[in-house]
Amino acid sequence: MATGLSGAWAPPCPQASRSTEGGSDLDRALARRLQTALAGHLRAPVGGRGDTTEILVDVANVADVMRTIHDDPGLRFELLADLCGVDTSTAMEVVYHLWSAGSHDWLRVVTTGLSREDPRAPSVTFLWRGAEWAEREAYDMFGIVFEGNRDLRRIYMPPDYRSFPLRKDFLLPDDASRSPGEGVRPMEAAPEPAVLTGTPADLRHAREAAR
Amino acid sequence: MTAPETKVRSLDDPTMFVDTPATIYDAIPPYPPRTEREAEFYTLRDGEMLINIGPQHPSTHGVLRVVLKIDGERIVDLDPVLGYLHRGVEKICENSDWHMVISHCDPLEYIASMFSEYVPVLAAEKLLDVTVPRRADYIRVLACELNRISSHALFMGWLALDLGGITPILYGFLERDEIVEMLAALTGQRLLFNYMRIGGVNGDLNHEFMSRLGDWMSHALRRIEDSMTLINSNEIFVGRTRGLGRIDRQTALRMCLTGPPLRATGIPYDVRRAHPYSVYPELEFEIPTREEGDSYARYLLHLDEIKQSVHIIDQVLHRIPDGPIMAKLPRLLRPRPGRAWAAIESPRGQYGVYAMSDGTDQPFRLRIHDPSFFNLQSVGLLSPGHLIADIMAIMASLDPIMGGVDK
Repeated sequence: MATGLSGAWAPPCPQASRSTEGGSDLDRALARRLQTALAGHLRAPVGGRGDTTEILVDVANVADVMRTIHDDPGLRFELLADLCGVDTSTAMEVVYHLWSAGSHDWLRVVTTGLSREDPRAPSVTFLWRGAEWAEREAYDMFGIVFEGNRDLRRIYMPPDYRSFPLRKDFLLPDDASRSPGEGVRPMEAAPEPAVLTGTPADLRHAREAAR
Repeated sequence: MTAPETKVRSLDDPTMFVDTPATIYDAIPPYPPRTEREAEFYTLRDGEMLINIGPQHPSTHGVLRVVLKIDGERIVDLDPVLGYLHRGVEKICENSDWHMVISHCDPLEYIASMFSEYVPVLAAEKLLDVTVPRRADYIRVLACELNRISSHALFMGWLALDLGGITPILYGFLERDEIVEMLAALTGQRLLFNYMRIGGVNGDLNHEFMSRLGDWMSHALRRIEDSMTLINSNEIFVGRTRGLGRIDRQTALRMCLTGPPLRATGIPYDVRRAHPYSVYPELEFEIPTREEGDSYARYLLHLDEIKQSVHIIDQVLHRIPDGPIMAKLPRLLRPRPGRAWAAIESPRGQYGVYAMSDGTDQPFRLRIHDPSFFNLQSVGLLSPGHLIADIMAIMASLDPIMGGVDK
């Protein structure tokens, strides 16, 4: 191994790593470091359960928080394990999972303060370019617009599709059996899917050049 | 009297023009660009052209469409188009109860479905605070490692197949078939095992499984190594994969790569060690890495991982304790309201599930993180500058399973 990475990334001795069982033995040191590094940005005390530490962050501060936990020498959360959208049926959330060589816990960053009508969150593609597709997926399924993602179009659903299927008010016909009072509702009318940034002139040029 | 001369319609007739309306399957979509990147991609400079690969193309390992922007034989840029296999598994899971989730998640990573059913089970167990009996944990590890070997053996053949060599995949299937028959004896299924249960596994080890496993263990490593000498030092294979699709450490982390593509750059990140689950902390194994980060390194890494998996299976067989295989749980599961994240190391990388429960018997949200989805993304970064034929070698070395990519 050329760098000292190997020791940190993979605990050399199996016994050194903690078992995943256990109710509340959170990584206290990590909680303290998070508390000091992100003092002003946390909406609630550092929480969590089992092997996951959880922080609650306002959507306005997400970019700063992610940059801090990525770059801070005491935290170094360099591996983005997951990015997903969540519809809690009252609000939207963006949830990040991260992993650091310096801690045994997973870190979950829950973003609050996104409205259901116009959910907007900053993109983290400036840190992890690989988050681009995950953000496209969250946009496709929930309609969350990630500002700064330069390729925010639908990824699974066809381009002319207008709804956001994983939203809680997008009901499947089966749902009628769960809550008969609701009945079968039509698909929600979604707003215009994306902000159009390319000009029609660009497109015409592309078409003509291809012919 | 002669019959009036009728004009025969022929596709060779230069005067005949068949006007097909533009569809979204054309290389150039019939709608205005929606994003900055799309406008940039579909703007062609001198000498560039767009071609369409897929959605039905044998080398895309499933139903994937890729729009290539080429200049002569060289790839300038490419745009993968996903969604042809999208079934909305996450939405289906939200509408089914916790036990049904297992069989819905099963066909996601269909080459190694033991893994894609293990993760949601692990997440549910975290929500329920269940302790799985140790024998069940060992059986899970045994089944998963066997499945990892069968998946890796197939991958190595596949990579060679995409480069034009047909023989290695037959050897890959030889190995896979033996393991799959073994797992069929254990689970009753050859492809989608549906074996994991919340709190344990579906059935105990049986005689047929153990005797097949014993047979296979006696020759496993030797035969895989033998068959892989077909391609390991094959001049054409090495020449076409070495130095191809090279990615460095920092870029690999920025692209959210996990699994063999990440370890081929030298970062020994393996969830089994980095964040141990099940009984992996008790087992001895190494995390093989390579430094080069190219297609050939990714290929060789799979062989090293097979060796480690055989080593794990050997230890499991020596250590497996007696006892129950299922924890005592009520039939109707109502996990506590809360959130849980579970991740495991699948043959393709870190496979995770983020589950939210609202206290009912159905998951409130079940996010499936498939490593193929995140690994496939870097094909757009690795391919530009290479030849069209090389895109297959790059894509196959990232080993995406479209069932998992499209969910």
